[in-house]
Amino acid sequence: MNPSVPPSAAEYGGDEVSAIVLDPGFSSTRAGFAGEDTPKSLIPTYYGKYSFEDQDKIIFGDDVFVTPRPGLSIGNPMGRDGIVEDWDMAEKLWEYSFTSRLTGAKPGNPLHNGLNDVPDGELPTEMEGLETDEKPLADSPLLMSECSWNPTKAREKTIEIAMEKWGAPAFYLARNGVLAAFAAGKASALVIDIGASNISITPVHDGMVLKRGVQHSPLGGDYISSQVRALFKSNTPQPITITPHYLISSKTAVDAGQPPQAKYKTFPPDRTPDASYRSLLEERTLSEFKECVVQVWPGPTKLSAPGPNGVPNEEMARSSPGRPFEFPDGYNQVFGVDRYRVVESLFDAKAAIPDPDSLFPAPTQAQTVSELVKAALNGVDVDLRPHLLANVVVTGASSLLYGFTDRLNQELMQLYPGPRVRISAPGNTSERRFSSWIGGSILASLGTFHQMWISKKEFDEHGPNIVEKRCK
Amino acid sequence: MAAADVRDMLDLPAEGQPRPHKKQKVVEKRPEGITRELFALLGERAPPIAINENRYKGRPKWQTKARVRPWRMTPFSNEARSDDLVLRHWQREPGSTQTPAIEDMKMEGETTEQQGEQKSNEPQYPFAKYNIKINVPKRYTTDEYNRHLRSDEWSREETDYLMDLVEEYHLRWVVIADRYDFQPRPVDNPDDNTDTSTALVPSKQFRTMEQMKARYYFIAASMLALETPPSTMSPPEFELHEMMTKFDPERERHRKELAALQLNRTADEVREETVLLEELKRIAANEQEFVTERRELYSRLDIPVSVSNATNYHNSQGLSHLLQTLLQADKSKKRRSILGPDGIVPTPGGQTPTIPNGPGSARDSSRADTPNGGTTQPATTKKAAAAANKEAAQQAIRTLTPAEEARYGVQHHDRLAPGVQFRSDRVQKLTQAKSHVQTQKLGAALAELEVPLRLVMPTERVVKNFEKLIHSVNLLLDARKVAEKVESEIRVLEAAKEERERKAKEFKEKDKPEVKSEQRDEDAPVPPAPVSGAVGSAPQSGQPVNASEGQANPDASSTANNPASGEPATKEKEGVSHKRSASVLSNGSDKSSKRQKK
Repeated sequence: MNPSVPPSAAEYGGDEVSAIVLDPGFSSTRAGFAGEDTPKSLIPTYYGKYSFEDQDKIIFGDDVFVTPRPGLSIGNPMGRDGIVEDWDMAEKLWEYSFTSRLTGAKPGNPLHNGLNDVPDGELPTEMEGLETDEKPLADSPLLMSECSWNPTKAREKTIEIAMEKWGAPAFYLARNGVLAAFAAGKASALVIDIGASNISITPVHDGMVLKRGVQHSPLGGDYISSQVRALFKSNTPQPITITPHYLISSKTAVDAGQPPQAKYKTFPPDRTPDASYRSLLEERTLSEFKECVVQVWPGPTKLSAPGPNGVPNEEMARSSPGRPFEFPDGYNQVFGVDRYRVVESLFDAKAAIPDPDSLFPAPTQAQTVSELVKAALNGVDVDLRPHLLANVVVTGASSLLYGFTDRLNQELMQLYPGPRVRISAPGNTSERRFSSWIGGSILASLGTFHQMWISKKEFDEHGPNIVEKRCK
Repeated sequence: MAAADVRDMLDLPAEGQPRPHKKQKVVEKRPEGITRELFALLGERAPPIAINENRYKGRPKWQTKARVRPWRMTPFSNEARSDDLVLRHWQREPGSTQTPAIEDMKMEGETTEQQGEQKSNEPQYPFAKYNIKINVPKRYTTDEYNRHLRSDEWSREETDYLMDLVEEYHLRWVVIADRYDFQPRPVDNPDDNTDTSTALVPSKQFRTMEQMKARYYFIAASMLALETPPSTMSPPEFELHEMMTKFDPERERHRKELAALQLNRTADEVREETVLLEELKRIAANEQEFVTERRELYSRLDIPVSVSNATNYHNSQGLSHLLQTLLQADKSKKRRSILGPDGIVPTPGGQTPTIPNGPGSARDSSRADTPNGGTTQPATTKKAAAAANKEAAQQAIRTLTPAEEARYGVQHHDRLAPGVQFRSDRVQKLTQAKSHVQTQKLGAALAELEVPLRLVMPTERVVKNFEKLIHSVNLLLDARKVAEKVESEIRVLEAAKEERERKAKEFKEKDKPEVKSEQRDEDAPVPPAPVSGAVGSAPQSGQPVNASEGQANPDASSTANNPASGEPATKEKEGVSHKRSASVLSNGSDKSSKRQKK
């Protein structure tokens, strides 16, 4: 194809206005230009905070993980239910997410940055339009995503930040369930989003969320991590403690199940980072564990139930070869049936590994994925249910657990034997992780979407409440 | 006789096998950069690799000498927006063809025209046209609402709210029902209000989708009817109105209940259903198979008579048949290729006439088929050719004398039975009559004549004579049958007559004064007699000649033989016989002659 010939607009309906798409999540925040296929800027939503020479300093981005600064504490502006709690930090973090990679840092105040220094005796000329130039988003419309249960106040706050603080010429707030459906190429779908802090089920019809059907429960990736921790505590040869990488100076290889032989780094008490730092880094090890070892029992029956040929599923799982995992301190072990057990509670609440110290209360059956789907479908019109079941979109990084979609498929088939259940889950890892961002990228680059933006003018006219009227 | 004609006659495809091309003389071009002597050494077969030299061909020429059209970040505004938000996108500068025109305009230096030019130049935003609005009914006024739309269940405020939602969500009922959240007095309890803003599903007064639909359809139909009374509505409008007025929320609710039941079937029920469906599919497939098989069988049974078999035209008879069919086709087509312009049809004269005719038409057709001949030939020459054909045909007829015909075995048939048949069948058919008894009698007669039932040497002449013989034997057999019948009837009638006379004598001897009753008695037995009954039925039903012939005779004989019988009876009989058709009479005479023969 001749690169000098542009694709005709009718072919793909696109018209790119260099909009920025911002998809904040609990674990990571994604930002990028609309029209691209992956977010250019991917930063953790966790931020580091420490004081240096009596000045409070904040670290954003991947730098958080790198240096164990004294007194470094980790915070997250998002609440566990996906709604912003700390608006100041959220604003800074989001701003960092697009200024660091996309729009670039704006030059500071020209009066002080030295670029405009004039020789003595001459008066500096008056700069006009100074105010607008400093706003980070002055020339890109901004599309943001939100969870489907975002309260009105939070939405209004979001548009205020975008319009007033960042100076966006246009803004739109879209539900991430809808965007994930768009990313899968569907206008109507049942979106099952397994995120870090939440599982959410969003029925989408014609690009609009059906609010009565929206369901969410806290059994996300972090919950699975807590289950893994509980598993480590009750581990049979000895309980496993996770020592993050930053505490290991050197290690030697040991046999499976043998106690670790490693030299540990020690920090003087006044130079140790906060406990939250350690738990964040432990979480990194855990997510590695989840990626490598943890597996979802494929079904069709529960792990605790007897299998189709009389043999209990647990026995079957035990007979399958285990998976080894080596911890940062060199301890390694082969995980057999336990690797199924940690995620079984997503589908069977009774299978949860009890842990009194965990942040998460023991799950109820109503919080499991299949029950959530059932509740979500009961919340929508009966005519729509078969259609939604035929368009199930699975997204979220935690849905990448090995065998998750198979099990989900089995559960849904058992729940609804009649209608056809079809799950669409992209095989591509990044598409699964960033699907709501990708949907936003598609949406914001559509020519027909440009009439939906809330412009600065409209915002000034109607106030922040306009977001409720326009972003339905 | 050209090859095309033969092909046409034998019903072969026009150009079955392409004519073998003349072997082209392949002259390989001597590539440049190789000497003639060296090339000659290569021999006839060129080497598989090309010896072409790759040479630099110079720079490719640009297709157009247009200037580069740069991409510019241009601001645009969307007509679908109410505010004039200006966004910017990359756009290519318009082509260079337009620039001189604009420059020309600028040369004129008229500012108004410049502006006009710019405005028309500025394209509409291409996606603005997708901003479509749905057709919602005109909003009612208070007066209209109070007069027509008042409802006990719906307040005015709630109705307004519903109409707003309908407009907002473009009649997507699923979404409307989902977002429906009408609060009667939102100002009264602010606590509750804040609650609902955070809670996902505030359920105050629950309205089902059916209720909303019913209300909306009622309003929409009423407004439609108010605007245009149903009598003046256009058909689609009326249809819409009908549909909306006939909406039944109860039925819809019931349907949804059933749909929910259907959705929530257990696995066993689903399995049963699939099994049943499989069974049904199997049955349907079997049925289909059966139908196709039967169709195949039928098509095999009444396969059309193949005319394409060339052996049909090997004899003269077949050829004349072909001509006849061609003529038929010609007549039906109302074309005048074989049939002359003056309508003189060359009589199907056997072998020779078809030959000059055939080739002519074939040539014509072949010419029409081939592109080089048909296109150039004018119509007049065609006509001339047709006339020539006709003349040739007439000449051909003259050439055949009866003696020649006999010599060549040329035959003429009035009509040929369609289909293939054995000629030997015809011989056998002659000796078979309709009934088995008749056939046996025929066989017996032939045996008497010492003629074999199956001819030993069925040549044409022999068969003809045999035909005559069989015909006369049949006639004789018929006559004999009739005669036997007549004789038996005569016997019966004579017996009856004797009986009657005997009775009459007895009566006369017994009682003289009772003449009247006697006469009545005399009358009575005659009509019910089998003879007279048959007589009555004969003219009406128009039965085969044989039967009526048999009935005619006894009458005649009875009248002839018994002139002394009662007068009224004879009169009646005479009347009946007069009524009989001439054929009967003639048959009677025939029969008498046959009897003489016998």
